[in-house]
Amino acid sequence: MLVSSNSYMYEMIRSELTDIVGSEFVCTHEADKFGHSIDYYWIPEMWHDRGMETPRPDFVISPANAQEVSKVIKLANHYHIPVVPWGGGSGSQGGALPIFGGIIMDMKRMNKLIRIDRESLTVTCQAGIIAQHLEWSCNKEGFSTMHLPASISCATIGGFLAHRGTGVLSTKYGKIEDMVLSLEVVTPTGEIIRTLPVPRHASGPDLTLLFTGSEGTLGIITEATLKLHPQPEAREFRAYIFKDFHTAMSAGAELMRSRLQPCAIRLYDETETITHVRKVFNMELAQGSYLVFGFDGRKDITACQMKYAREIMEDKYQGQDLGSKGGDLWWENKYKFFYPGFMFHLPQAFGTLDTVATFDKIEAVYWAMKNVVTENFPQARFIGHFSHWYEWGCMLYARFIFEPQDVPKDPREAVALYNRVWNMAIRAAIANGGVINEHHGVGIKLGHLMKELYGPAMPVLEGIKKQLDPNNIMNPGKMGFKGV
Amino acid sequence: MHIDKYTDAILNCRFCFMCRHLSGIGNVAFTESDTPRVRASLLYGVTTGRIQLDNPDVIACLYRHDLSGACRRNCVKHFDEIGLNLAARADIVASGCAPASIQALADSLMQTARWTVDGSGEVLYFVDLYTQETGTVAAAFAKIMAKAKVSYQTVSGGCIGKGLKTLGYLPEAAAAAKQFAAVVEKSGAKTVVVSNPAAYDALVNDFPALGIKLAATVMHTSEYILSLALPWQNPQEVYYLESDFLRNYNSDLPAPHSLLQAVGAKNRPFGTNDEESYTCGEGAVLLPRIDASLVEKLAQYIEARADAPSTDRILVASPYTKLMLGKYTSLHVQTLEEFVAEAI
Repeated sequence: MLVSSNSYMYEMIRSELTDIVGSEFVCTHEADKFGHSIDYYWIPEMWHDRGMETPRPDFVISPANAQEVSKVIKLANHYHIPVVPWGGGSGSQGGALPIFGGIIMDMKRMNKLIRIDRESLTVTCQAGIIAQHLEWSCNKEGFSTMHLPASISCATIGGFLAHRGTGVLSTKYGKIEDMVLSLEVVTPTGEIIRTLPVPRHASGPDLTLLFTGSEGTLGIITEATLKLHPQPEAREFRAYIFKDFHTAMSAGAELMRSRLQPCAIRLYDETETITHVRKVFNMELAQGSYLVFGFDGRKDITACQMKYAREIMEDKYQGQDLGSKGGDLWWENKYKFFYPGFMFHLPQAFGTLDTVATFDKIEAVYWAMKNVVTENFPQARFIGHFSHWYEWGCMLYARFIFEPQDVPKDPREAVALYNRVWNMAIRAAIANGGVINEHHGVGIKLGHLMKELYGPAMPVLEGIKKQLDPNNIMNPGKMGFKGV
Repeated sequence: MHIDKYTDAILNCRFCFMCRHLSGIGNVAFTESDTPRVRASLLYGVTTGRIQLDNPDVIACLYRHDLSGACRRNCVKHFDEIGLNLAARADIVASGCAPASIQALADSLMQTARWTVDGSGEVLYFVDLYTQETGTVAAAFAKIMAKAKVSYQTVSGGCIGKGLKTLGYLPEAAAAAKQFAAVVEKSGAKTVVVSNPAAYDALVNDFPALGIKLAATVMHTSEYILSLALPWQNPQEVYYLESDFLRNYNSDLPAPHSLLQAVGAKNRPFGTNDEESYTCGEGAVLLPRIDASLVEKLAQYIEARADAPSTDRILVASPYTKLMLGKYTSLHVQTLEEFVAEAI
């Protein structure tokens, strides 16, 4: 922010914002500004935990439509004020934090379901709708977005699009970028644009994908059209224990190569099988690696898919069958892992080192990350599971955990330790064919590694940013782009 | 401080997003601060001294809570952010930081803490201020009792402590509760029946917590009417909106659903889900007098989720919810007593 909150210029800007969205939707209350100063990123949580001040926005704005978003952005350009879009605030990378103050554009007022197209099976909604609310509305009409992440109760559709989010059924239905047909976007200079109405075409580069994953640095997504699916007649799960993680991974990869189209596969390494699966399910499991998968759709087809999948698991890889109950337990408890009491929490230090690689590299990535964490930080635990599977590879959801006694009391030292783990682990992933993230995004957590990941391609991204956002007002300092 | 009793809620809710979709006020005001995460996080800041409980913005935030309990019910571990909020309000009051408007409201409640008893019988029906204000709920109950040929007493009056408790005035709430308990005792009733779920919660949960043990059995009207095993049928299609107090504070009291089943009503699911609170802030008891605009938004949120707002028959357990929906929407709302009495 360029002016003090005690100055008349601050009040001048407040008046202009009020003129755009109305006084009720220009908030400068301490409680609300505080609420936007912490997301799901460990560092701001720890900062608050240690009694430190977290960076606040100067204004919190709740626009009603794209026109209001456009006007606020034009105003921000005029005064060179940072604008940070905020959906549900459940991002784990610090992507929505107002690190340079300015305007938080809280999108939740833009929560309308605009249209369900029963012929094309699409839904069009404003970007600020909480995903669970959208899903409930679609369910009532007999459909589902099939976007079912743990953060469904909090994150908005715009937030998912901005960070390329994913859900538990991604293996069949895709990530959010596979679900979106088109977007309405307000650009960093305030133009309201629409991307092409369909995602598959030969009409030039795909602008929808340009804005998807841009984390608010290239504009604000204000509306989206997503695919819908009929609710499946059947959804079946089955779980197995394999003697070790390598065998389980081989079985999972084989299942994907079979093109049987499972809706979900989740594989837990031996450690996480013990620390999490047993705890959440409250059941005894043999030593080994737990793998669960499922199919959904027509009942007869699902049964057929399951039959062939079981042959892979049992005949070829000698998995110990935990039956459908073992699989159903995972489905019923899929969000339970993330509730307090089951999720890591301060004063522990923890992070999700998620990455993705092809099948020929994913085990090497796993071991490289695990080795670098456990060898350099022997006090840390490393666990991992593989949650989102593709025809060519899968995503590693690895986590490191420091128990409270191993976390420096000084918050600055804690930040330093935390970032050392991240840097070493992510560099190990990149060196072995991984990327810095699969579905949580980049934010401030990983921005400094973007140049290493992209190499000579990074200036292409920077050029796009500079062209679209000449005054650098949109979420500055995120995704490796420069700050104010 | 009272909030020290809720350290587990502070530490577990402060960074948790899992019940965000059920934040009643957050969903209508679109504010981040009106969520369990931010309220708990603010109160964590209070415990570290980084945030002061006399900050007017923090106080306003804490008093905007609808106290529905939907979030606590959703939570796998049922961390009690509602209890935490009530404790924070008590700390605000105890430290002399209650806003003048809250103090004035508490003063007015204290003046209502007197009751009159009429009639005779072993059943004592409590007609609280919200029930009185409907003008119809007590009459419906009377009609049912006349048909059932049960004579009963009525006790009419104001705050029995619930409202004062929600504002953070704990000693005053306890005093009102004790006075009411004495009135009940004096009546000689064996059963106390209440229409207002807030009063029900006060009698079955707050009173014992204060060490007040009523000799009489406490029943919500839905429980009591069900116990009469009357033969009337009202086989209409209805949408029953759950009460916060009966569902989220009292372990899904089954009586309302059992009663609807007993009278043959066809209960259809309302809205898009059965997790959100559709009560207009029933849990907060006094939200209309703290910020009526929030209640209006909550009511409109409910109306927007009706299948056919102009024709749907909405049933509620709470006279409060009936009043608020009647005031701010065009929905056709009846209480359970009215629905049953209609069949007579």
